Amino acid sequence: MGLLDRFRSLDSRRRTLLERAPAGPLKAYYSVPFVSPKDDFRSIEYTALDFETTGLSPLKHELLSFGLINMSGTRIDLGSAQHQILRPKGDIPEASATVHEIRHQDTVGGIDEYEALLRLLSHLAGRVMVVHYHKIELGFLNAACQRHFGIDFLIPTIDTLQLAHRWIEGRNLYLRPSDLRLFNLARRFNLPIGAAHNALSDAVLTLELFLALTAQRLKEAHVPIHSLTWN
Amino acid sequence: MEIELQAVRDFLAEHPPFDHLDEGLLDELPAHTSIRYLRRGTSIPPDDADGCYLYVIRKGAVDVYDGEQLIEKLGEGGCIDCSLQTNRETAHARTAEDTLLYLLPCAEIERLRMQSPGFSAYFTDDSGKRLRKALTAITATSPVQSSDLDTTEIAQIGNLNPVTATVDTQAHKAAQVMRDANVSALLILDDAQLVGIVTDKDLRNRLLAEGHALDTPIREIMTPAPLTMPPATSGLAALEWMTRKHIQHLPICDNGVLKGMVSISDLLRYQTTHSHFLTSEAARATNVVDLQAISARLPELQVQMVMSGATAAHVGRAVSSVTDALTIRLIELAEQQLGPAPVPYVWVAGGSQARREQSSHSDQDNALIIDDTMHDEDAAWFEQLARFVSDGLAACGFIYCPGDAMATNPKWRQTLKVWRRYFRDWIEKPEPMALMLSSIFFDLRRVHGDKALFDALRSEVNQLTSQNKIFLAYMAANALKHRPPLGFFRTFVLISDGEHDKTFDIKHRGIVPIIDLARVYALSAGIAEVNTLARLEAAAKTLAVSPDGAADLRDALEFIATLRIRHQAQQIRNGEAADNYLHPNSLSALERSHLKAAFSLISTMQEALGQRYQSGRFL
Repeated sequence: MGLLDRFRSLDSRRRTLLERAPAGPLKAYYSVPFVSPKDDFRSIEYTALDFETTGLSPLKHELLSFGLINMSGTRIDLGSAQHQILRPKGDIPEASATVHEIRHQDTVGGIDEYEALLRLLSHLAGRVMVVHYHKIELGFLNAACQRHFGIDFLIPTIDTLQLAHRWIEGRNLYLRPSDLRLFNLARRFNLPIGAAHNALSDAVLTLELFLALTAQRLKEAHVPIHSLTWN
Repeated sequence: MEIELQAVRDFLAEHPPFDHLDEGLLDELPAHTSIRYLRRGTSIPPDDADGCYLYVIRKGAVDVYDGEQLIEKLGEGGCIDCSLQTNRETAHARTAEDTLLYLLPCAEIERLRMQSPGFSAYFTDDSGKRLRKALTAITATSPVQSSDLDTTEIAQIGNLNPVTATVDTQAHKAAQVMRDANVSALLILDDAQLVGIVTDKDLRNRLLAEGHALDTPIREIMTPAPLTMPPATSGLAALEWMTRKHIQHLPICDNGVLKGMVSISDLLRYQTTHSHFLTSEAARATNVVDLQAISARLPELQVQMVMSGATAAHVGRAVSSVTDALTIRLIELAEQQLGPAPVPYVWVAGGSQARREQSSHSDQDNALIIDDTMHDEDAAWFEQLARFVSDGLAACGFIYCPGDAMATNPKWRQTLKVWRRYFRDWIEKPEPMALMLSSIFFDLRRVHGDKALFDALRSEVNQLTSQNKIFLAYMAANALKHRPPLGFFRTFVLISDGEHDKTFDIKHRGIVPIIDLARVYALSAGIAEVNTLARLEAAAKTLAVSPDGAADLRDALEFIATLRIRHQAQQIRNGEAADNYLHPNSLSALERSHLKAAFSLISTMQEALGQRYQSGRFL
């Protein structure tokens, strides 16, 4: 990201990347305009995305699975749910396996990173991405785009961790770092907790959390999406 | 199927009407399901609905109304039918708290109905029945019901454990049974079926006057096949009917099965147990014995109010108004004996009476504030007044305050000057003793006497408290002492002291924390109110607490306190002593989930308060 990029709109940065991108799937992705930052958050098509990975570093570690699900406005569409396992090139470190519980043998039928990237790019085009802690999903998507296309990945993103942080601070509540973990927030908002660290369950929970965090703003006549996005 | 979709399928499979669907149809459900999150107070369907759906509650609660009347409270797994409005024009539903819902398109529901008769039945022949069931279920929960005879069922008024005897019982044995149970009518059973009734009058007219032997079988003198009425008959209908038929006792039968008996005197007493009746009786009483008799009906008042759907706030106001009336009358009786007061004074109540949050027969907390012009020789008059009133209240069932916070204690029977000094000391030099007394003396209300005296003290105290940050910090720390049992339903943090095994103290773990929070808000904002709901309402308009937080606490208090008075009403009805120990199994799943939510809300508000005053430093 260039120094001046932060002062440019996401969509103008998208147009720059569209010019630079080699013909192919990433160019196709960038050819679809981003939502207007002034659009009301109730009129937007969202996709929640969650990755399970072999570690936290997008440069060193690999993607193991993704879960995604769409939301039209304020309605989560369970029929759109997808869950996909990838086959990593390297090992699955024990430290990560104890979290996501994906063993090497579970990845045998999995797709490779390039194929996963193609599916995600075609799915995410024109949509707003919802994640809990953007550094993982954006970081891994960006690293994959750099590896395969030599170009940055950009998408309007809502980070529910950031929204939750604002929500708690706005109420002058004491905040422990662990309060911002997806499951602790789910408990705080009385949301149903399914299978922990399954990419699809986490994606659904992320959307439910997003709805809970924004429920109070439904009273407002107009809430521009840029007031909720991280980037 | 993916794990998340499986979870949705399994959730739906557990709840009607989806429990009627076979495995194959259940598997298809998740792909058609969508999820919405609606804030408390949102109509269902919401204004922005993009189609017709069946709404299934995943988390949260929904109130269903017919016009203004609440007819059903739905919890987890409850369905809001898309045809609600077509069944009853005036019916509508609204989320009672923030609610997560699963939405199934009506077209999909229609398709499922074609394939499963069991599933379909839920939407057709049952709807009227479900509505009626819901109506009877909430007569006990609706806060808007009056306790009028015409809206109260005889099953709620009468005795549900009537005294009975079998047909071959000898007449004198029957009379002994009636004497021992202190009743004037005996229901006669044959093979568990009600076959007759015998009253005092029958024994006199048909046995003694006729000169029959005492061992005559009761079947020969009973009135056979007595008229009965079903449990749902209104009290007023029963009263009119009994008056017309000149009968005193009416057995209550449900489809031929004996359920209880209601008497004319039950019905008349029901009408006269209203609190305003008791307060006006108290004002006319001429001695302590009369007051005792009035006070003895307080538990009955509590039961009746609860049975007719009153909330804890209603009961608290009613019981406190009767307690006030008893106190005032005792003071007047004392003045008749002792002569007029030598100098102006004010009798003040503390604690739950002051907050108007009493349940029947709590401890007495009171004090006397006397005009500064009092001479030493006047002290005896006030001591005698305190003794008379306090003893009178004790005779009426209000036990002496275990902490001796009563006007009989010379420490709490002082001139305004001394009271001013007390409060100044408490506020400027907060110490454990002052904090212990805070729940009594920072909740004071004038019951009788000189208003100006009381107002002088109160306005000074309000000003002092709102300005003293250190005092407030101590009070805040004190308010965090009673914590709600957060992990309660998972880990069973319950009392096990024998008598109260596996129960929890709903007063100290649920109600006191809210009272304490509201007191700190009120003191910090200089609010004069002492009633907890009123304090929260007033505090919401200040910076002491956020409006949402205050509204949430009010809801939580109403819910928890109403559970408590219902528990106590049940105990009083069973002839047990009322206590605060609830067993989690006595609550419905919905009540448990509400209680859990209320506890976590209290905890959040305590956390916020602790943060604000950095109370960790004082604990």
